[in-house]
Amino acid sequence: MGDLQMILQATGQVFTPTNMLMILVGLVIGMIVGCIPGLSVMLGIILMLPITYTIEDPATAIILLLAVYVGGMYGGSISAITLNTPGTNSAIATTFDGYPLARKGKVKKALDTSLFSSVFGGLFSAVLLLVCASFITKLVANFTSVEYFSMGILGISLIAGVSGNSLPKSIISGMLGLFMACIGMDAVTGVTRFSLGTSTLKYGIDLLPACIALIALTQVVQKLRDFKLSGGKLDDANKIDREGLTRTERKGIIPAVLRSSAVASILGAMPGVGGGVAQFLCYSEARRTSKHPENFGKGSLEGIAAAESSNNAVVGSAMIPLLTLGIPGDGVTALLLGAFVLHGITPGPTMFTKQGVMAYTIILGCLIANILLFPIGLGMTRTVAKIVQVRYTYLAPLIIMFCFAGSFAATGNTKELVICAAILIFSYLLTILDIDNTPLMLGMILESIMEKNFVTASMAYDRDYTIFFRRPISLVILGLTILLLVSLMKMNKKIEALNQANIEAIEAEHEKLDQAENVDSMEMGA
Amino acid sequence: MKFKIKTNLWSGIIMGGLSLILLLLMPYQVRVPAFDSGAPSPRIIPGICLVIMLIFSIVLIIQSLVLKKEKIVEFDWQKEKPAILLIGLLCLYVALILLIGFIPASAVTFALILAYCGERKPFIYIFILAASIGIYFLFMKVFNVSLPTGIFF
Repeated sequence: MGDLQMILQATGQVFTPTNMLMILVGLVIGMIVGCIPGLSVMLGIILMLPITYTIEDPATAIILLLAVYVGGMYGGSISAITLNTPGTNSAIATTFDGYPLARKGKVKKALDTSLFSSVFGGLFSAVLLLVCASFITKLVANFTSVEYFSMGILGISLIAGVSGNSLPKSIISGMLGLFMACIGMDAVTGVTRFSLGTSTLKYGIDLLPACIALIALTQVVQKLRDFKLSGGKLDDANKIDREGLTRTERKGIIPAVLRSSAVASILGAMPGVGGGVAQFLCYSEARRTSKHPENFGKGSLEGIAAAESSNNAVVGSAMIPLLTLGIPGDGVTALLLGAFVLHGITPGPTMFTKQGVMAYTIILGCLIANILLFPIGLGMTRTVAKIVQVRYTYLAPLIIMFCFAGSFAATGNTKELVICAAILIFSYLLTILDIDNTPLMLGMILESIMEKNFVTASMAYDRDYTIFFRRPISLVILGLTILLLVSLMKMNKKIEALNQANIEAIEAEHEKLDQAENVDSMEMGA
Repeated sequence: MKFKIKTNLWSGIIMGGLSLILLLLMPYQVRVPAFDSGAPSPRIIPGICLVIMLIFSIVLIIQSLVLKKEKIVEFDWQKEKPAILLIGLLCLYVALILLIGFIPASAVTFALILAYCGERKPFIYIFILAASIGIYFLFMKVFNVSLPTGIFF
């Protein structure tokens, strides 16, 4: 079946009432989770994972999770603008101009700019994904299990290289993840590995409870701790006015949106980069090329547009390496890879040949989610913004109950609850030791794919392990791993310095604004 | 109570120790299959992971002691006490779920958590109890998963 035929067939499959409902639900949940500072898009996806177990069509399940991702990326900007606190890491640059504009009483204008840019960026990258996916898969169509194993090494090395501050710690974390996933019965030989004689570990550590403990519960505990330490005080949010974005203003931000979408799409497609990096680079680039760079940091619409279009553009482009090569680009896509695995889908070139219609259904679902974000954002932003003002003690118990119920639902065995609690304690220990747990999660997700390909390759080449270095493509991938690792680490260090300079400059600008406002209010009072 | 943690050194010691213990346990914890199926040994992947962990743990120790490259984290007991207590309460939650079931365990644990967080209004306690019942029936009726009921049913 040709690509066009598959796309046509997928179009029919994506426009079902169930899929549309899932996209709407996913977008709203994503916006809610994204806008609450301290909670992340990853938490939203994890909370939705147990629910997807009941969805028969894996494509619908993935579309729901993608809608959460898309909604969450926009949701992060709501609290960035109204509270000066980014809901997600990818919305840090949105605070630079979003908050000053909100302080001027133009909250709706800032939110409209954010929504328009998010939708534009998201659509741009989703179209890019649709166009590139088939092309890339054709390039890698000759991959065998040897190359797939090497790709796994590439994926885990890149995430380890760019997450956290220390490469040795991140590699240890990744290896721990691989090791933890090895626990239990070996699928090929039937030998039990590291069960320590307990029935709890005999069947291994399931992915879902592990992800719930590592990401969701860890985040909730940290957020509850902060709530307790702050005495339960909430920041004052700016009220949303009625003056939205005008047509002329929308026209004015299009160059910045277009440039940022293009840059972020390229960056997002590189494994290990992600939205956090893209937003700062795009923001700097927008300021450099703007006709009014002096307005940046004081409420520039171009600044908001650059930051928001870039973080949503990353959603689609991060799916390119995930769907075509099976390599996740960051924590969120690692989690999505986990969702693929849990639903029995193996992303990579074979997905486009064996399950092509499903692959295109997912891509089109991502596209539709970005389109529907616009009306949902227009209609729901005001309501969602109010959730930021809900006391966290109402939300935390709900999330915790859902987490444990979801863990139990993974297999229906109470051992999952015990494992969940044990991993939560372990995750806290890692936090104390300053070890990032994202590589650990990725290691757990990639282990099954890596070991399957390792076993297949070893059996095919009579346990000749040098085959991973003798097959040219595999050797190139392994070489590329080292090359990319070194260059990405260097690039990330440079970007980190640039980000720090940006943040310091903007904070100084915000302080000036606050002081000026205080003087004004004192004069008014006098 | 505050103390400084040399994270590179301690990560190296703890993770190195852990990987060493697991490597020593390998022959007892991963038996070699009685017959050769042509597949690689089940020890190979966990073995590689543990050896890499051990190597990088040594790298961290060298970084800390020889190269004097260290990331120091200040552990403030006053700040960390709520997190440790909350984790303890969540472990208690798991034990209670296994013992008395999902709804009573939720009622008890979250009452403790909310009281610890300083919530005094009765409405929030009623809301959480209602939510636990709601989630229980959501999983049972919609997702066809019966959450643990413990000794009561």
